[in-house]
Formats: sequence, C-alpha cells, structure tokens
Amino acid sequence: MPLLLATAALGTRVELVLDEPESPGLRAVGEEVIAEVHHWHERLSYFQPESLLSFINRSAAHRAVALDEDVWSLLSLCREAHRASAGAFDPTLAGLLGRATTHAGVPASRHDQAADAGWAALVELDDDRRTIRFRERGVRLDLGAVAKGFALDRASDILRRHGVGGALLHAGTSSVVAIGAAPRTIGVRSAGGLVTVALREGCLSVSAPRGKVVDGTAHIRHRGGPALADTALVIGPLGGGAEADAWSTALIVLGTRPMAMSDALRSAVHDGRRWTSHRIQLSPAPEAA
Amino acid sequence: MTESSRREFIIQTAGALTAMALLPSIPAIARQQGDPLGVALVGAGRQGRSILGELGKLEGFRVMGVCDSDESRLSSGLRRVQGAKGFADHRKMLDELPEASAIFIATPTHLHRQVAVDALQAGRHVYCEAPLSNTVEDCRAMVQAAQAAPKLVFASGLEGRSNPIYKLARSFYRSDAVRDAVAIEAQQFQKTSWRFPASNPARENEVNWRLDPAVSLGLPGEEGVHQFDVALWFTDRLPASATGGGSIRLWDDGRNMADTTFSTLRFDNGLYMHHQASLANSYGGRTETLRGSNATIKLAWTAAWMFKEADAPTQGWEVYANRQQFHNEEGITLIADATKLASQGKLKEGVGLPNPPLYYALADFLASIRAGEPAVCTAPDGLRATVVAIHAAKAVMTGEEQVIDPSLYEV
Repeated sequence: MPLLLATAALGTRVELVLDEPESPGLRAVGEEVIAEVHHWHERLSYFQPESLLSFINRSAAHRAVALDEDVWSLLSLCREAHRASAGAFDPTLAGLLGRATTHAGVPASRHDQAADAGWAALVELDDDRRTIRFRERGVRLDLGAVAKGFALDRASDILRRHGVGGALLHAGTSSVVAIGAAPRTIGVRSAGGLVTVALREGCLSVSAPRGKVVDGTAHIRHRGGPALADTALVIGPLGGGAEADAWSTALIVLGTRPMAMSDALRSAVHDGRRWTSHRIQLSPAPEAA
Repeated sequence: MTESSRREFIIQTAGALTAMALLPSIPAIARQQGDPLGVALVGAGRQGRSILGELGKLEGFRVMGVCDSDESRLSSGLRRVQGAKGFADHRKMLDELPEASAIFIATPTHLHRQVAVDALQAGRHVYCEAPLSNTVEDCRAMVQAAQAAPKLVFASGLEGRSNPIYKLARSFYRSDAVRDAVAIEAQQFQKTSWRFPASNPARENEVNWRLDPAVSLGLPGEEGVHQFDVALWFTDRLPASATGGGSIRLWDDGRNMADTTFSTLRFDNGLYMHHQASLANSYGGRTETLRGSNATIKLAWTAAWMFKEADAPTQGWEVYANRQQFHNEEGITLIADATKLASQGKLKEGVGLPNPPLYYALADFLASIRAGEPAVCTAPDGLRATVVAIHAAKAVMTGEEQVIDPSLYEV
C-alpha cells in the first residue's frame, strides 16, 4: 500500500504519495520532503510577516538584501521569465495593485507608469553581489505564482537524492511533480470541461485567471489588457517546477505560446472555446462522479 | 482633552507600557559600522540551516565557514551562504579560520561540549543551541570554560529570552497585571516520527540520535528545555523536583524513546509547571500558559495574549487594545513595538512577530559581541534550564521522581 503524507503549506494542501510500502526509512524521507516544503513556505510566504520574502519586501527599498543560492536562483528565474514573457509574468503586480490604496505617498499616475514597466523598472538584481534592491518604496514581491513549483523542485531533489523510485507530490493540485517511469494521469479542468494528461518524470503547472482580486474583479493584468486564456498548463522536466509555474501564469495573460518560451517546456492553453497544445497530448475525460 | 485625543493618549500610553520590555531594540548589529565580524557554523542540519537563513537577514558580519561531518548536510549548508568554506572537522575549521571570531553550534546535543570548549579555548565567542548538553557534567564543563574566558560571549540558544513578544509578556507577568502565580502549563505537539533519513545506512544511528536514550533527552529535554526556561525566566524560580512519564502512542517502529510524554516540575515556592509533548498529534502546537490570580498569559512563540479575570482591576488601555476570540474567552493581543504602531494607526498590523524567534536570539548574540557585553542568555542560564531538562527527561524515562540538588544549578 502506498504511503501518503500531507500537510497544509503554501496556502494549500500539499500531498506526497510514495509508491513503495511504508517503512520507517521511507517515512523519514517523506517527512524530510514535507519539512522542505514547510521550509520554503516559511521563507517565501507573502502573508507571514516573519518570512524571508516579507523581510525582503520590508527592507529592499532601503538597502540591498543578500540572497542565498536558492533564493537567488528563484529570483533570477523570475527576472528571466518576466523578460521572456514581455512582462506577462510579473511578481511585482500584486504589490502594485495593493499599494494603490496603502502607499499614499505615490500618485496614481505613477502607479500606472510603474505597472507598465513592473519588475524591470522596480527590481534590481545585482549579479556580482547576489543582492536584491527595490528602486522605489512600497514595492512588494508576491512569489505565489512560482513558490509552489520552487518548493516542489527542492522537495523532489530530496526524493531523488534518497533514491525514491516512484512518487507523486502536489501542492493544491495546481503544481505537480511525478517521479518514476510509470505515467500518472492528471485531470485538468477548464471552461471547456475536464481533460487528462499523462505525466512521467516531470512537473506540471496549471494556472487560471483567479486569485488576485481587487474591488471584486479578478486581475491578471498585462499592460491594462484582460487575460486571454481561462486555463494554461505547462509540463517541464524534473526540477523545472518554478519555471513551469511562471510560464503557466504568463500564458494566461498572453493567450498564446510565445517564441521565447523554452522548448523544454510543453504547453497547452484553453481560450474559452478550445485547447491549443504544444507537444501535450490532451484526452477528454468523463466528469468525475 | 477631546475624546479622540484622549483615546490617542491612552493608546500611546498603552504602547509605552507594552514597549518597555523591548529595549534594547533588536538588530543593533545591523546598525554597526566597521569591519564585518567573521562567524562560522558547526552542524548544518535543519537547525543549523535555519541559523544560516536568519543570519542572512542581518548585517555587519560574514559567514566564513560551515562545518558538518555529513557531506550532504554540509553541501546544503553551503548553499545558504556566499563565499563560506566547508569543513568536516570543527578543529580544522578553528585552525584554518582564525578570523571567524564567533561560532554557532547546532550539532546533536551530546556533541556540543567538545565543540564549545574547543571554540572557547581557541578564543571564539560561542552561540550554543539548547539544551547545552545531555549530561550535567558536560554542561558544567561548558560553563566553566565560558567563565574561564570572561572576555568572550557565550550565548545559550534559549530563544524565549530574546523574543520581543516574550519580553513584553514577561513585563506583564512581573507586574500587577497577572499578580500571584497560580500554575504554568506548556505543550509541544507535532506529528512527525522524529526520524531523519540518512545519506547512507552506516549513518542511520548517527542521524537519528534523538531516538537513542543513551544520548538524547527525548521530548522534555530536546523540545521542553525552551519552555522550562520560559518558566524559570518569568518566575525567577528554580524547580526542586521533576516527575513524569511517557509511552509510545504511534511510532512503534522499534524505538525505545517515548513519543508522548508528560512531566511536572515542582518549584521551590510550591508552584507547579505541567508539560505535555507528543509526536503523534499536532493540535495546539507549542504554547506556554502562565496563570495568575488577575490574568492568564498564553504564549505561542510568534504571538501572545493576555486573558484578564473579570474581577481584575482595569488599567484603561485595555479598552483600545487589539483582541482575539478563543471560544468563550477574549484575549488581549500582546503587540511588540505598540507605541510606534499605535501612533501610525497600525496596531493590528503588529500582531505576530516580523521575524522568527531565532532571528532575535542571533541578533542579540551578535549585538553582545559588538557591545562587549554578556549574552542575553548566558552559560549559567543555559545550565539551569538544561539541568531541569535532564531531570525531567530522567523522570519520564524512569517514571520516578527526580529531586534536583540545588547545587547543580551553580558552578
């Protein structure tokens, strides 16, 4: 019987299913995985005041904040995804929307201006010193779109390091990692109904235009325009969960796959009427009872 | 005075009261100028990596070395810092990094003594995780080594003493707001096997030292020591004896260490502290409750509340305090830095700590070094809490009352 471990972290339920029968050693590996997820929850949470991300959001406008190798790699990935997606992926967006009402010192016109440039105008990563600095007060990063994928990447490193042959790890069903040769069937619900995809030795990220709500309106915004897709999914190699998360968010905004997207990432986008797929086999699935 | 200015006055007065225990303001080290202080870590397990993570938020020092005998843990630790050198042996690190003037010790408990004594004898400041050791003899040796080097700072890693919310709560506890101490309860609940995966089978026992009664103090020692210290610090009292018991309720996997325990400390003035811990259930987490005849204080490491008795005198500021409902009880949230927040109309935003408790303990240690002052939590403080933990652990293991010889608390 497979071993199941679960916890509440990253704003959702995280589950790990290990294919092998339970043993003290296997459970210890599973608990290490869950501890790693918690570790990243505690570091990357936008809402917990004691998280590293909250510390960065409080401090980076006043001084450069030094980053460790892992956090640096994540923020570098964010910078690259922001650039390659022409701003469609932007971790500064939540802060920009929020501070319109909370940071009275900045005029509204400035917000519009800043929102157009987003990360590129507001965030400075120093590659030599491995530091982050904000160019304005009131900037806040929300890594919610990539934190789950990143945490699962780090957690799956532990599974592989301990030679676990088969496992499924997911965070809130929107970020999934599958380890092992046997394909896993994953259901994805869009406005067009339920489809399934097969996932093997890789990661999957699903996004939909929900989550950031300001004045009752859903905002995934790209230069003032509406979201162009209702569901986007990206499949990447093991360890590519954060990148897959970033791109599934960007595809919701863009509606179509851009040329700049890495070929290592497969994708599918549902625009409200039909799926457009790039190297992903989608199968219709009966509605779950 | 208008109603609004009176209200503001009372809120700010309340803020002044609540802020009085927060001095000195925390990251004093962050404001220090001059050459960065060189530091190094011994023990890059989960706690060691947390230390490196929190150090990353502070300024005025540089992590120069990380030491761990396990290659995988060492590699994980080195990922947390820039430019640090890795070592498998702490003596080699002390020899090769003379400029690392402070050493953080986060090895298994029974290995603390050797590292701490070596570091002190090599002229390094020491921050040692709690409990200080698993034997009274080791603890006393560490305290003696610290006392033999009075110019060096030795900090015991009992985080409650640096926690701004706990300092604030202590000021209330020691004021008329709580009055006569009635009872203390503490709990530590988490659902985990307490077993760690080894990078190879040969290291299985070494990695899982917590499950070995020969070297581990079990739940009351490894976890409860922080909570026992809160009681010692708040009350300024020392327990005269410990009783306890425990059993395996869930993790019946061949271990000899109880996964569920209770222990009771009897203080010299007749006050009792009850401690419960389990690895089989997580409800309620880690809290301490201190009951007085006027009020009860509940501490939860990143938050704290005060519950007043109906007949307790009103001091005015409570009317405007932030409150939280717990079933039929209403708790006044204890907020650090309340004066500043109240003046900004942001009192509610102050609920909870802006950093983990560990951050404040590390910041205090580094600030003590810079200021040339004793640690906030000294070696004798660590000794006393550890002596209590050792006796509580023995009571749990044997089921027999452990009378604590008062001379063990002093060196």
